[in-house]
Amino acid sequence: MHNYVAVVFDDRSKAYEGLHALWQLDDAAEVTIHGTAVVHRDPLGNFQVDTKETHPALATAVGVGVGALLGLLAGPAGAAVGAAGGAAVGAATGGMVGVTADLVRADNRDQAATETRFVLGAGQSAVIADVSEDWTSPIDTQMRKLGGIVYRRAKSDLEDDIWFDDNYFYPSYLYPYEYIPSSYPLW
Amino acid sequence: MGKIETNVKDALDHVRAATQELHGAISDAVAKRGGATKADLEVFAQKAKAVTESAKGSISTQHEAARKHLTEAVTDLEATQKHVAEGLKSSGQAFQTSVQKALADARASAQKVSEAVAAKRSALSKQTKK
Repeated sequence: MHNYVAVVFDDRSKAYEGLHALWQLDDAAEVTIHGTAVVHRDPLGNFQVDTKETHPALATAVGVGVGALLGLLAGPAGAAVGAAGGAAVGAATGGMVGVTADLVRADNRDQAATETRFVLGAGQSAVIADVSEDWTSPIDTQMRKLGGIVYRRAKSDLEDDIWFDDNYFYPSYLYPYEYIPSSYPLW
Repeated sequence: MGKIETNVKDALDHVRAATQELHGAISDAVAKRGGATKADLEVFAQKAKAVTESAKGSISTQHEAARKHLTEAVTDLEATQKHVAEGLKSSGQAFQTSVQKALADARASAQKVSEAVAAKRSALSKQTKK
């Protein structure tokens, strides 16, 4: 099954441990990882994506894409804000995206009941991954060991969302290999 | 039978690693101060050609489930080659546009090869369970 997974950790270091563990599962052929990114939320609530890019135009595109995906992972109520917020704030600030999906969801409790409840709190980090997995236990077990909380939506479900936009969604902003910025020399 | 499967897996894994490396090289060049240069594109042209030939050559040996994805990956790799070649002949904004298109095509090829790997792993897993 082709899924999009978000694993929320309490800090950046743990998120990179989680990223590494995901690619190790791929090496072991337990799952197949198509792409990953690490997203952080600062104390002011802004989202930041770790990328290689320094060119403002490229960082904007990355911001829009991840904003859309974060919104879709949050469920239908979050998708609108994710796509719109990612585009607007991403365009203004480069690699920063602003997604207030959790706030919107709080105002839409009926809808929230059917959602994945993915929320990235201030100060937390998340690994976002595009994966193929025949069963969910390898990722769930490994991420739980590292203290991560796993949220998952099927790719087909995301594509069915009314807010799905293929222009923003194609996962070009997810690195198709384990990318760790030089500022995180963990391995 | 087991030996054949091992060889096939090795070939597909090699193609996957090569497409990941191609994307990594292009994205590194784009991200560096000043962006990609013509010299970078000369290297990408050679890498893209080698990966394309490798992917083409391995299609017929692949598990049926993986062939479709790998064939699509070859199309993306050929597009990468095309845009790298266009970049080598251009300058200014046209050069930047070609590099961006090459990067997007390389990313798409890595995705397709990865999906080929997933399809094959899933198919082999089902065979093993029978």
